Amino acid sequence: MDRDLLRQSLGCHGPALLSLLRSEQQDNPHFRSLLGTAAEPARGAAPPQGAGRKEKRVDNIEIQKFISKKADLLFALSWKSDAPTSSEVHDDNDNHYAVMPPLEQFMEIPGLDRRELFFRDIERGDIVIGRISSIREFGFFMVLICLGSGIMRDISHLEITALCPLRDVPSHSNHGDPLSYYQTGDIIRAGIKDIDRYHEKLAVSLYSSSLPPHLSGIKLGVMTSEELPLYYRRSVELNSNSLESYENIMQSSLGFVNPGVVEFLLEKLGIDESHPPSLMRGLQSKNFSEDDFALALRKKQSASWALKCVKIGVDYFKVGRHVDAMNEYNKALEIDKQNVEALVARGALYATKGSLNKAIEDFELALENCPTHRNARKYLCQTLVERGGQLEEEEKFLNAESYYKKALALDETFKDAEDALQKLHKYMQVILYFLFEI
Amino acid sequence: MEAVRPDGGERGTAAPRAEERPAPEARVHFRVTRFIMEAGVKLGMQSIPIATACTIYHKFFCEINLDAYDLYLVAMSSIYLAGKVEEQHLRTRDIINVSHRYFNPGSEPLELDSRFWELRDSIVQCELLMLRVLRFQVSFQHPHKYLLHYLISLKNWLNRYSWQRTPISVTAWALLRDSYHGGLCLRFQAQHLAVAVLYLALQVYGVEVPAEGEAEKPWWQVFSDDLTKPIIDNIVSDLIQIYTMDTEIP
Repeated sequence: MDRDLLRQSLGCHGPALLSLLRSEQQDNPHFRSLLGTAAEPARGAAPPQGAGRKEKRVDNIEIQKFISKKADLLFALSWKSDAPTSSEVHDDNDNHYAVMPPLEQFMEIPGLDRRELFFRDIERGDIVIGRISSIREFGFFMVLICLGSGIMRDISHLEITALCPLRDVPSHSNHGDPLSYYQTGDIIRAGIKDIDRYHEKLAVSLYSSSLPPHLSGIKLGVMTSEELPLYYRRSVELNSNSLESYENIMQSSLGFVNPGVVEFLLEKLGIDESHPPSLMRGLQSKNFSEDDFALALRKKQSASWALKCVKIGVDYFKVGRHVDAMNEYNKALEIDKQNVEALVARGALYATKGSLNKAIEDFELALENCPTHRNARKYLCQTLVERGGQLEEEEKFLNAESYYKKALALDETFKDAEDALQKLHKYMQVILYFLFEI
Repeated sequence: MEAVRPDGGERGTAAPRAEERPAPEARVHFRVTRFIMEAGVKLGMQSIPIATACTIYHKFFCEINLDAYDLYLVAMSSIYLAGKVEEQHLRTRDIINVSHRYFNPGSEPLELDSRFWELRDSIVQCELLMLRVLRFQVSFQHPHKYLLHYLISLKNWLNRYSWQRTPISVTAWALLRDSYHGGLCLRFQAQHLAVAVLYLALQVYGVEVPAEGEAEKPWWQVFSDDLTKPIIDNIVSDLIQIYTMDTEIP
């Protein structure tokens, strides 16, 4: 069980939830130890404003009961998403999904709070985009416009500045000042190198070593306004037309109607559809048996249906109705392509009719699928030797030899193959003797 | 056509529910939609086709009396139809196999005999009946797409560490999937359902949206202009009610 998560939830809902949990989860060993220590109030959690708290209390009882009943699922360590934990670069197109302006912009959260939260949440290695405001001997200052990776925030009006020290500016020529390449007003893409959260100071770098390994291919330095991330451009549009709703922007975005949008976002959020999550006791997919799934059932059924056809075919074969038998075998193989019994039966039929090569093919495939099948092995050996004999008569001696050897490789006790091979070797020796004598 | 249900067929109604225990019909439907969802997982269906199947099923029994047709046949046809509508085509053979095994655990797969063909015919004919009853309107706006976008927007505003350690997405998705055991999809707008499910997920883990108190507009209002707090509470309440049926029905 995830202790911190449980503590967070208890911190929000209070002692009422604790007692509910104790009664609902009393049989659960994971909770017994946790609920003892989790009785301490959550550290550092500031209680929300009075009005908000009162409102929460009204719904709370139902929700609290729900939480307590499902707690063993909700707080389980396995109940996590497999979301990619590395930060991603922000798209400049909305091909995959509707890229939206930041939520805080719609919520109209005051600049002070946005600033505070920005400095709380920014991390080293995040890509930031800004305009150079001034260039000094020791580096240049830039005012941040938006973020290029990690989280998407509306910061353009917050007047957040960052310093790029001289040592973090790569030089563009062999001599001269690296800074001479830059001008005020240039749009720069840089990586966050250092953060002083308390004093709200940022240091950036133009070296890709400041970025995490998976982002090291991103080009830092001067960029054009066309390359600005889409979320920022949308944010600017929203600023000029502040009455536009979230819903409208989303629905008019091309990405919203992308047929693959759900799949794309599921992956981005780390939700796995092959083992879909559920809070219903009966729908925990890990309790489902693989044998009950469609694929497994189909395979079993195909094998059974194919076997029926084979049986009918064998009956036809026994009374000499070879054409009908072949039809049944082919039918069986259509239902179940790799059915071993069907392959062996068809191979035997081919061999009887004299199509030895086709027979060998079928036997070999059967043996591949089921290496322990005795008849497949036996018939294959016999047919290989027979074919070898045919080749000998056509004086294709080396070819014949390979067939005999193959048969012996499958079954070293097969006497007919041994005899045939020895006979052939003697014959070949005689020929060679004569060849050298002449 | 059957009369509209007494608990309010209008969308977005904020009137509180009077009854404590779910109606007996609701429990029957719970059992059958459970079958749809379990079969859906075993057939490898994605969440949206399963949602379509459940919606078709619920909508059908808004029009038709409960006793008129075999519930599970209707369910199987819903699955088949939903597969076509959502471009995740399923073979009747697989639907029959999974269903047969569901009702007869551990049994051998069916033989290719007349009974099998009759079952298959039933599904196909029921499908046509359902299409006609639903006037061929079998394509729905599901909350799923909305929920995913809301999650992305929220993810960017929340602290990264906080997001990573709190399974908000998974819980919201699970809640949404489970909601199809009841007829919420017919009574509420897709966007409203998506927001409500997200709201409940945040409540469960005690997550506060940063600077919520200082915002001009609450986050849930941003996502849907015509949504009100009573509607959210209504949906959350109904959803929790659905879960209580899980423990009651054997």
